[in-house]
Amino acid sequence: MNRRAFLLALSFLITTAVTPVFAATLTGKVLFEGQAPEADLITADADPNCALLHPDGITPDDVIVNDNGTLKNVFVYVKEGLEDQTFEAPKTPVQFDQHGCMYTPKVFGIMVGQTLEITNSDDTLHNVHSLAEVNKAFNLGMPLKGMKIKKTFDKPEVMIKIKCDVHPWMGAYCGVLTHPFHSVTGDDGSFTIADLPAGTYTLEAWHEKYGTQTQEVTVADGDASELTFQFKG
Amino acid sequence: MYDRARHLYLKLLLAATFVLIAAGGLVTSTGSGLSVPDWPLSYGQYFPPMVGGIRYEHTHRVIAGTVGLLTLVYTLWSLVVERRVWMRRLALLAFASVVAQAILGGLTVLYLLPLPVSVTHACLGQSFFALLALLALFSSREWTQTRPAHSDDLGSLGRLFAITTGFVFAQLVLGAYVRHSGGSGVVPHIVVGLLVALHALLLLLRSGKSPSVSAAFQGPCLVIGALVLGQVFLGFGAFAYKYLMPAQQAARPAEVLLATAHQTNGALILAVLAYQTARCLRLCSPR
Repeated sequence: MNRRAFLLALSFLITTAVTPVFAATLTGKVLFEGQAPEADLITADADPNCALLHPDGITPDDVIVNDNGTLKNVFVYVKEGLEDQTFEAPKTPVQFDQHGCMYTPKVFGIMVGQTLEITNSDDTLHNVHSLAEVNKAFNLGMPLKGMKIKKTFDKPEVMIKIKCDVHPWMGAYCGVLTHPFHSVTGDDGSFTIADLPAGTYTLEAWHEKYGTQTQEVTVADGDASELTFQFKG
Repeated sequence: MYDRARHLYLKLLLAATFVLIAAGGLVTSTGSGLSVPDWPLSYGQYFPPMVGGIRYEHTHRVIAGTVGLLTLVYTLWSLVVERRVWMRRLALLAFASVVAQAILGGLTVLYLLPLPVSVTHACLGQSFFALLALLALFSSREWTQTRPAHSDDLGSLGRLFAITTGFVFAQLVLGAYVRHSGGSGVVPHIVVGLLVALHALLLLLRSGKSPSVSAAFQGPCLVIGALVLGQVFLGFGAFAYKYLMPAQQAARPAEVLLATAHQTNGALILAVLAYQTARCLRLCSPR
């Protein structure tokens, strides 16, 4: 390799390796205060295939309070502060599955133009009905196990509800953004938003039952900031 | 001329349509309207697996097809044997209504429940049921064989019946809007509901005014009163589940039954009122 090509390659490596180090990382938890609502088990008898998988019924998943007092399935994202920047949608599709007569994941983020790959892993009929209001809504029949359908969203929209009209307990939410800075809390109630450019941002935490909360944060390159959101039951 | 066979056939059609309206109500109450994404077939089949919401949606389609065929038979039968031109036209109107209902039903599925289409589909179904009730009246022995006994007392009662029927129709339109918009417009629906209840009470009081009126209309007005009273309770129950109790991921069985019964009873009230309005106006019309 000649000297010029070597220097170019080295510059490229330095640029791509160094940039994340100087970007900021936001971490935090979403706490829950109060008593988790009591909800009756949902009977799955409407579909024998689902009833076999859930003989005792289905625990509602609209509110999941973790053992450590945090809230699961909260969508945390940068709401404001990135308007003058553009980001390319990843080529990797977001996976959305119908498995065990439930949607997985229940809450997720996706970028405008990124592919959503919807799979039916169940041995029963499902339909995937998006209740989009800004994007074009769709309602897709997925009668066969192993069936896959791909969709994309053209415009940002927070949040789009996705439901199955065959199995009324099945519901999921999708946040469509123009950037990749989002996270969903898991079993420990934590979220992480990495590689955020320096700047001042408004962060929003969204929960399907408890609504939204926002916080302003200013980060510099290399910062590791921590935020806490708290929802009340 | 009284045609007993056709009159009985109309009663059968009326009963089947009542079941269809209840089945349609169940589709909405269970959120199953889009459980079958294609139309007119269901997942590309005539008989899809009957699971979950598909049970309600596909059953509704099957009953609708049956009512469509029954209506077609009635219409053709009337075109052949009915001597009254206006009755032949009404029979054609009934068939046109059921065809329009089928198209509207298909549009709700293919265009993902657009609000104006869903509301029109709901109201046309209930109006079709009322039309069948009128056809049953016009083909009855009372209408075809007995000479109407004119009574001036019936004039004001006839107007009251007509106004009440108008309020009930408005109430059904508002109710359809509430159901298909996810709960908007409930306050006007309650206000008009109170107006309907008031007019049902007025009908009951007016029907006892004179012997000639009582004989013909006190019984029906008692029935209307009972239906409207039941409707108020059903409406309150549906309201309580929708607005006062915590929302759940899947509708509770009681919630489904109350909302469906409220919607179906509304159609019954409209049909009974249309029937009695026509009876009364005939009796108070000049000789």
